[in-house]
Amino acid sequence: MGYDILSKIIEFTDSEEALEKRLEDVAALLISFFAFDQCAIYLFDQEKKILILAVEAGSKQEGQRVYREDEGLPGLAIKTGKPVFITQFGRIKDVWQGIADKSASGFKTVICHPVKDDILYGALYMRSMDKKIISPKKKKLLAVIALQLATAIKNYECIVHLTDANKKMQDMQARLVHAEKLLALGEMAATLAHEIRNPLMSIGGFTKRLQQQLGADPSHSAYVERIVKEVERLEKLMDGIVRFSDKSGYELSLEDINNIIEEAAQFFEDEFKGSGIAVVRDMTPDMPRIEADRQQLKLVFNNLMANAIQAMAKGGTLTIQTRHEDNWIVTEMSDTGGGIDIKIMSNIFNPFYTTKETGTGLGLAITHTIVTNHKGIIEVNNNMGVGVTFVIKLPVAREQGGNYE
Amino acid sequence: MNEKILVVDDEEGIRLLYKEELMDEGLDVHLAASGEEALAKLEKDKFDLIVLDIKMPGMDGIEVLRRVKERWKNLPVILSTAYHHYKQEFGTWASDAYVVKSSDLKELKTTIKDILNTGRK
Ligand SMILES: Nc1ncnc2c1ncn2[C@@H]1O[C@H](COP(=O)(O)OP(=O)(O)OP(=O)(O)O)[C@@H](O)[C@H]1O
Ligand SMILES: [Mg+2]
Repeated sequence: MGYDILSKIIEFTDSEEALEKRLEDVAALLISFFAFDQCAIYLFDQEKKILILAVEAGSKQEGQRVYREDEGLPGLAIKTGKPVFITQFGRIKDVWQGIADKSASGFKTVICHPVKDDILYGALYMRSMDKKIISPKKKKLLAVIALQLATAIKNYECIVHLTDANKKMQDMQARLVHAEKLLALGEMAATLAHEIRNPLMSIGGFTKRLQQQLGADPSHSAYVERIVKEVERLEKLMDGIVRFSDKSGYELSLEDINNIIEEAAQFFEDEFKGSGIAVVRDMTPDMPRIEADRQQLKLVFNNLMANAIQAMAKGGTLTIQTRHEDNWIVTEMSDTGGGIDIKIMSNIFNPFYTTKETGTGLGLAITHTIVTNHKGIIEVNNNMGVGVTFVIKLPVAREQGGNYE
Repeated sequence: MNEKILVVDDEEGIRLLYKEELMDEGLDVHLAASGEEALAKLEKDKFDLIVLDIKMPGMDGIEVLRRVKERWKNLPVILSTAYHHYKQEFGTWASDAYVVKSSDLKELKTTIKDILNTGRK
């Protein structure tokens, strides 16, 4: 006897179940083994320094939910680090030897056992309506059980931390792999683009000569015109790829983001009007400058606006907000173009990913690269069925009081 | 007399295209397939302008440009390449103009004309 319960407790505390379920099993086992009416297990909150009721088992379940570390019988147990055993003929009152604890009131036998090794994890609180003599052997057994419980809780916390850390690492790795993939893709694409560009240029150039020489001969001009058009499209694509991988040649100066956005918006003025898109500006004036390559950054807003316009072909609202937040200049650009399908969400920043018939799929890839090169962050808030908000955070220039690295 | 221009590009198709198009503009067009060949031709002949590709195997356009400007300080050079950013990097020195390569040669032609016209005055 006795070792039964211990091996059972070990079994419970080592199981894969959620901690709460394991504690419940232990509490239930303690009740049946010691023939008590109630058993509660409290866990110690290391930050708030309080005991919080985790599980209760047994008949009347009305223990106090929370104990301060100097409160009641559990408080006494954890303060002294020793178990409190009370056994008496009459019922225990609200106050026992100057210690107020309503949870003990009405019982004849109460055990409060700290659950700890070097660190305090909690307390066991067992109560019985009958007067029970706890033999030294049982006391020892209880001490071993409490220690086993402490180990179980400790292990559990370790695993939770490990899982958290592991998850964080996996997330980070996934992001790294993604960034690397982008980079590799970009480099490969750039090499390809350079190789393709030259022959493309002579195809296009000679076709244009052919076009001139054929004149308006209707039997050929349609073909030749098609070739010229397609070559121009390909040249535009190659241009985009070269830009995408173009990491050098950034010319930084102190810029006002509102000004850059305004210039980009002006570029699309006709498109906004043509598609019935209202542009709402909510720009904070006189914000600190950012350190930016004006042309590159304009490309960012060009790309985002182009996407918004394409998403709102039947009209809508484009809201542009800028604000100063700590060391960041934050721009939010929201459209009402219906949002992005969750299924494709993870692809939108990949080069060549497009859902459009004539898209290159480079718009957002270039945008991402440029923002990153500016030590900035780009985020997407997708509101499925409504629209998309692109959030761009760029660091305040150092001369302007920014203190980013 | 027609202005004499030297086109330096490692791609044959592009050399031929430039030749035909620029001849149509009434220019006397000569070709070089590499930086080395270009420098050799410049030693022998007198040119009014060079159109120079930047990305070439062997001696690249930037190196050719440097040597040209050392020896023939007043010979105008137009750099042409696929890279946009060279425009910024080399804008401050040496080359007289910069053109992004494209099957549409309008930009190149107007740039050549502008430079030759200023030279004539
Ligand atoms: N504002 C938006 N609303 C809805 N979908 C969007 C929006 N912006 C981007 N997308 C989706 O992301 C994809 C990738 O966008 P990206 O700008 O990279 O390429 P693209 O617009 O398709 O091509 P290009 O930029 O060459 O015109 C788009 O094809 C579209 O499916
Ligand atoms: Mg786009």
